[in-house]
Amino acid sequence: MTERGLLRFGTPSGRIGLAMFAAFCLVALAAPWLLPYDPLAINYVGERQLARLRPPGGAFLLGTNYYGRDILSQILIGSRVSIGVGLLSALIIVFIGTNVGLVAGYYRGRIDALLMRLTDIAFGIPFFPFAVLLVALLKPSIWNIIITISCLLWRSVARVTRAQVLSLRERAFVRAARVAGASDLRIMYVHIFPNILPMVLLYVAIGIAYAVLSEASLSFLGFGDPQVVSWGSMLYDAYTTGSISRAWWWTLPPGLCITLFVISVFLIARDWELIANPRLAT
Amino acid sequence: MSAEAGRGAHRLAARLAQSLLTIWVLVTLIWLMFRLLPGDPTTALLGTGQLPPDAIQRLRKAWALDDPWLVQYLRYLANLVVGDLGLSFVFREPVMKIIAPALVNTLLLMVPAVTISVMLGVVLGARLGWRRGALSEVAGNIIVLVLRSLPAFWIGIIVLVIFSYTLGWFPIGGIRTPAFFPETWIEEIPGYDVARHLVLPVLAAVLYFVADPLMIMRTAMLEARTEDFVAYAQARGLSDGDVMRIARANAMLPVVTYVGIMVSFAFGGQVLLEVVFSWPGMGRLMVNSVLQRDYPVAQAAFLLMAVLVVGVNLAVDLAYARLDPRIRDD
Repeated sequence: MTERGLLRFGTPSGRIGLAMFAAFCLVALAAPWLLPYDPLAINYVGERQLARLRPPGGAFLLGTNYYGRDILSQILIGSRVSIGVGLLSALIIVFIGTNVGLVAGYYRGRIDALLMRLTDIAFGIPFFPFAVLLVALLKPSIWNIIITISCLLWRSVARVTRAQVLSLRERAFVRAARVAGASDLRIMYVHIFPNILPMVLLYVAIGIAYAVLSEASLSFLGFGDPQVVSWGSMLYDAYTTGSISRAWWWTLPPGLCITLFVISVFLIARDWELIANPRLAT
Repeated sequence: MSAEAGRGAHRLAARLAQSLLTIWVLVTLIWLMFRLLPGDPTTALLGTGQLPPDAIQRLRKAWALDDPWLVQYLRYLANLVVGDLGLSFVFREPVMKIIAPALVNTLLLMVPAVTISVMLGVVLGARLGWRRGALSEVAGNIIVLVLRSLPAFWIGIIVLVIFSYTLGWFPIGGIRTPAFFPETWIEEIPGYDVARHLVLPVLAAVLYFVADPLMIMRTAMLEARTEDFVAYAQARGLSDGDVMRIARANAMLPVVTYVGIMVSFAFGGQVLLEVVFSWPGMGRLMVNSVLQRDYPVAQAAFLLMAVLVVGVNLAVDLAYARLDPRIRDD
């Protein structure tokens, strides 16, 4: 991995992904100042007529929903939930997964068997149905959605990390460190960890993608935080009010935003994979 | 020969034990979740303040909630083993009676969807991996990227809006038309009505499922192209199509492994699509039961899905050992 490769960030598609991702993050950060209306305000036209399901144009750039709320404002503010949940969940997923994999692969023996059995069991659980149960029992809130997503998805990170650590721990530099008297913790986090960092970053990206899709899906089923607008909860409202047949301006934007954001993350991940593992590029 | 058979039996026993362990952990986890977490069913029913104290006492006694936890847990396990899943709070019927038809409906949707996705993924993936031009590479990448990024429920909504609301070709949901009366000879074919309701959910599910088998097949095919047996087949003067079929047969193993993972992940899409298409399967039943706090049904629906996932994974593992002789020697 050359510094030049890092700075230039690989292929055109990777740069497109990075630009899209940056744009989404900027919008999420600046959302409160960009809002044309309060996302939860019920808007009226004229004296007392509810602005229900107004098509795009005029005062409402992307139209209004069934309750007379401005869709553009909801899209803008909804980006914060998707991106926030995505980033946080991904960090937790990777944190748990990397540590499980490091400890299992480094210590081998009983700890390894125990942790890998645990990982096998986590793989045996159908993720989304489990998430529905857990989030419903925990009461819908953003934090509970993050906990729910994170508590299963660490499994693939753990497996891949362990596989890499197994081969790394036999390498000369690790043996040299051991001979020099480095402690286990030092070997694991100072010597081995930097070598798996590229892969860890790849899984941060993949984790973001899965977390964003999971959050949207849970919110679509009505398990989102009722106080918070997210892209998933917008689609829940559109579906439950029976508006999907007549208000394309309500169903298209949230779905497109979710898809484009996930695409941007996958593009970055693919590019990163090429940088981290140059053999793939040939 | 007998040594190999012994190894096979050992492997089978080990995998069976692991599957049972997974199911036991899940069953226990679910039991703990439903009793420890804030929204637990008994507080939900007893703690509403609407029941007089003596009624609460009687209910606690009837449900044996004052027994020690261990006794309650063992009783729960024993009931599960004999297939007694309890009574639904909402329907006031045995859970078994509610869940059995839902299971049938789920399989009715899932089996064709998964089968079509795998077959389509293999055929398309092999083709995209074989023709190694810039165009097919770009096309393959874009198809996979977009399909993997679409939320399952949104695919369902879009399919519904296009083919049902706009074009009017298919019903908007459900599994059969109420009071369906066949008018033409086509409509008299048994199962016609259900099949018509099945088209859109299967289409949406295939769009959602197909990306991963397609991608895996394409990668495997790219690798198979450089193998010696492909060069040999080409040297023998076989047609390009025949060589591709040989390479494809050899590249299919990773897809077989993937089917186990796919079924686990398919239940996620299944839950969402059943809700979008009002399909009366286990996923929708689970979501509705959770929302109505009908916990015995929610719990049973989840456990049944988990058992199916574990079972399919076991079957795939064993099939894989048969297909790939190298695996047997581990």
